[in-house]
Amino acid sequence: MDTLLLARLQFATTTSIHFLFVVVTLGLVTLLVGMQTAWVLTGNAKWERLTRFWGQLYVINYVLGIATGIVMEFQFGLNWSGLSRYVGNVFGAPLAIETLVAFFLESTFLGMWIFGWHRLRKGVHLALLWGVALTAYASAFWIMVANSWLQHPVGYEVRDGIAHLTDFGALLTNPSLGMAFGHVVSAALLVGGMLMAAVSAWHLIRRTPDFALFRTSLRIGLVTAALAITMVQGFGFAQFGPVGEVQPTKFGQGPEAQAVIADWTTRFGPGDYTPPVLASVGLGFMILIGFTLGCVWLLLPLLYRDWIIRLRFPLWLILLAVPLPFIAVILGWIAREVGRQPWVAYGLLPTGQAVSPVGTPVMLASLIGFSLLLGTLAVTNWVLLARHAGRGAADPALGRPPAAPGEPAHPEPALA
Amino acid sequence: MDLAWYALLGLFFASYLVLAGYDYGVGLLLARGGAPAGRRAALTALGPFFLGNEVWLVAAVGILFGAFPVLEGELLAGCYPAVAGALVGVVLVTAGVQLRSRPGDERVRARWDRVIVVGSALAALGWGVVLAALLQGVPRQADGHVAGVSHLATPFAATAGLTMVALVAVHGATFLTLRLPADAADAAGRAARRLVPVALCAVVVATVVGVLSSRVRDAVGRPAVAVLLPVLLVVALLAARAALARRRPGWALIATGAAMALPVALVGAALWPYVLVSTTDPGASLTVADAAASTPTLRLLGWVALPLLPALLGFQAMCWWVFRGRTDGRAPVYW
Repeated sequence: MDTLLLARLQFATTTSIHFLFVVVTLGLVTLLVGMQTAWVLTGNAKWERLTRFWGQLYVINYVLGIATGIVMEFQFGLNWSGLSRYVGNVFGAPLAIETLVAFFLESTFLGMWIFGWHRLRKGVHLALLWGVALTAYASAFWIMVANSWLQHPVGYEVRDGIAHLTDFGALLTNPSLGMAFGHVVSAALLVGGMLMAAVSAWHLIRRTPDFALFRTSLRIGLVTAALAITMVQGFGFAQFGPVGEVQPTKFGQGPEAQAVIADWTTRFGPGDYTPPVLASVGLGFMILIGFTLGCVWLLLPLLYRDWIIRLRFPLWLILLAVPLPFIAVILGWIAREVGRQPWVAYGLLPTGQAVSPVGTPVMLASLIGFSLLLGTLAVTNWVLLARHAGRGAADPALGRPPAAPGEPAHPEPALA
Repeated sequence: MDLAWYALLGLFFASYLVLAGYDYGVGLLLARGGAPAGRRAALTALGPFFLGNEVWLVAAVGILFGAFPVLEGELLAGCYPAVAGALVGVVLVTAGVQLRSRPGDERVRARWDRVIVVGSALAALGWGVVLAALLQGVPRQADGHVAGVSHLATPFAATAGLTMVALVAVHGATFLTLRLPADAADAAGRAARRLVPVALCAVVVATVVGVLSSRVRDAVGRPAVAVLLPVLLVVALLAARAALARRRPGWALIATGAAMALPVALVGAALWPYVLVSTTDPGASLTVADAAASTPTLRLLGWVALPLLPALLGFQAMCWWVFRGRTDGRAPVYW
C-alpha cells in the first residue's frame, strides 16, 4: 500500500469523526446561549435547569471535538508536510489565526464557564458562554477560509515553486467561502435542533417526570431545525453556481471541465483529473436527506395544543430521524473534499506531492493507532451522551451547587 | 521579524509545558492510587485551569504552521513517532480528565484514571524526545526532507524523555501542594520533595549523556548556553525543594515552572541561528530565517495576532485570578 492512500484514509477518518462532534458543539452552543440569556433576563428557574441539562451534554460532546481537533492540527505536519512546504505561506495563516483568535479563547472561556456556576456573577457567567459561542463561530469561519483556499486558491503568487501570500482580502472574498460557511453553520444548527428535539421526544415518549421542561426543549429544537433546514437548502443550492465556476471538474464533465483538464495535462502532465465517483453519489444522497428533513415543517402545526405530544407518533418520527442529519453532514463533507481530488490545493498542488516522505509502516501504524483511539473514544463518548441524555434533568453534575450533598458516588442501600 | 515570531513560538510552547505540565504531573500522580475521594480532589485542583492549559499547545502549533511552515512539516514528519506518541498522550489526558467522572461507578472511574496516567506519561515522554531530537540534530537531506525515524532512538533522547517525565511529576506535586486543602497539601508537599532528587538525577544524567554524545556536541552551536541552562535547571529544582521545605508552595511552583520552561529556552538558544541541524549534510541545516514564512505572511499574522495577545493573556490571567487559592468544600466539582 502506498503512503498516499494511507494518509488520505487517515485524514478522512479523523475529519469525519471531528465533524460529527463539532457540528453538535456549534449547534448546541447557539441554543444554550439563548437558554442562559433567557434565564438571566427572566430569572425563571426552568431556564437554569434547561441550561444545566443541555450544557452537560454540550460539555461531554465538546471533549471529542477537542481531542480530534488536536489530532487534525498535527496531522497536517505529520502526514502532509508537502502542504506546509509548498503552500504553507498562505494556507497556514488562516489556521494560525483560528488557533489564536478563536480556539484559544473558546476553551479558556469554557473552562471558566464550567467551573463558574455559583461562583461568578450571573452576568459574567453568561458573558463567558457568549464568548464561547462567538469564538466557536469564529473558529468555524477561519477553518472554512482555510478549506476554501484549498478548494480555490486565491491571493497568492508562485515564486521558486512556493506559493507566497499577495492578497489576504482575496481569501476572505473567496467565491468558494461565503455560501459554504452559511451552509455549514446552518447544518450545525440543524443537527443541534434535531438532537434537542429527539432527546426531548424520548423523554416525552417515556413520560419521564420533567414534562414541562422537555416540552419546551422539544419546541425549541423543532423550530430551530425547521428554520435551519431551510437555510441549509438555500445555502446548499446557492453553492452550485460559484463552486461549479471555480471547480469545473467537481460536479460535471462539461466543456469547461474538459478545458481545465486539457490545461492541467499540458502543465502537470497526463493523468486522471476527474474526482472519484464517490463524491457525486454522496452528494445525491445528501440532497435526498435534505429534502426528507424539510418535512420538519409539517410537524410545526402540531405544536398547537401539544398535538405533537398527544399523537405520540410524531415523537417517534423525530427520534428515528436523528441519524439523518449526521449522515448528511458527512456526505456533504465527502462531496466537498473528495470532489477536490486529485488536488490538495485545486489546480495548484497535486495530493500526491503533499504527502510526507515517511515510510509505509509508520504511516500504517499511525492510521490504525489513531483510528482505533479516536473511534473508541467516539463510541465511548456517544454512550456517555446517551446515558446522560436518558438520565434526565433531575440533577446534572454541571452547575450543581457545591453545598448540596455530594453526588451519589457510593450508592449504598440504607437497608441491605 | 523572524526572531520575534521565533520567540513567540518559544513562549507559547514553553507556556504549554509549564501549564499543561502540571496537568500531566497531577495525572502521573494518580498512579499512586489511594482513595477515590483523594484522586477526585487532585482533579478538582486542576479544575478550571485544565481547558485553558492545553490551548497553549494548539496555539503554539498554529504559530508553527503560520509563521514557520517549513519547520512545521519537517519537524513533525521527521520526528513522527515521538510527536505521534505525545499526541496520543495529549488525547488520552484530555478525554480522560473530562470524562472520568461522568460514569458513577468507582471502578470505571479508576480505569479512566489509569488512562490519564498512561496519557500523562506518554505526553511528557514524547515532548522530551522531540526537544532532544532538535538538540541532537536530524538527518535532513539536501532535498529538504528528514530521512527515516531511527535517528530518534538514541540514549540522549531516552534520558531526555525520562527527564521530562520526572520534571512533570515534581511540577504536578508542587501544584497540588499549592492548590489542595491545607490538610491534604502536606502529603503532596512531601511527595514533591521526595521527587526533586529523582528529577535532579535525571537532569544530571541527561546532561552528561548529551555532553558525551557526538551528535549533540556537533549540533550545538553555542556550548556555553548549552551548559549554563542545565545548571539553571538544577538551581531551579534546588530552589523548589528549599521553598517546599519552608512551606512556600507559591515560590516552589514558580521554580518548578521555570524548570519546565528552561528546556525550550535551551533548545532555542543553543542551536541559534539554526533550528533543524542536519547530521548528514551541513548544507541542509535549516536556519530560523529559512524556516520562517515569507514577509507578507508574517506581517499579516503580526497585525492580527499582536493586538490580540493582551486579550489572550488577560483572559488567562482572569481565570487564574478568579479561581486562585486552595480548593475547599465550596469549590465546584466537575472533572
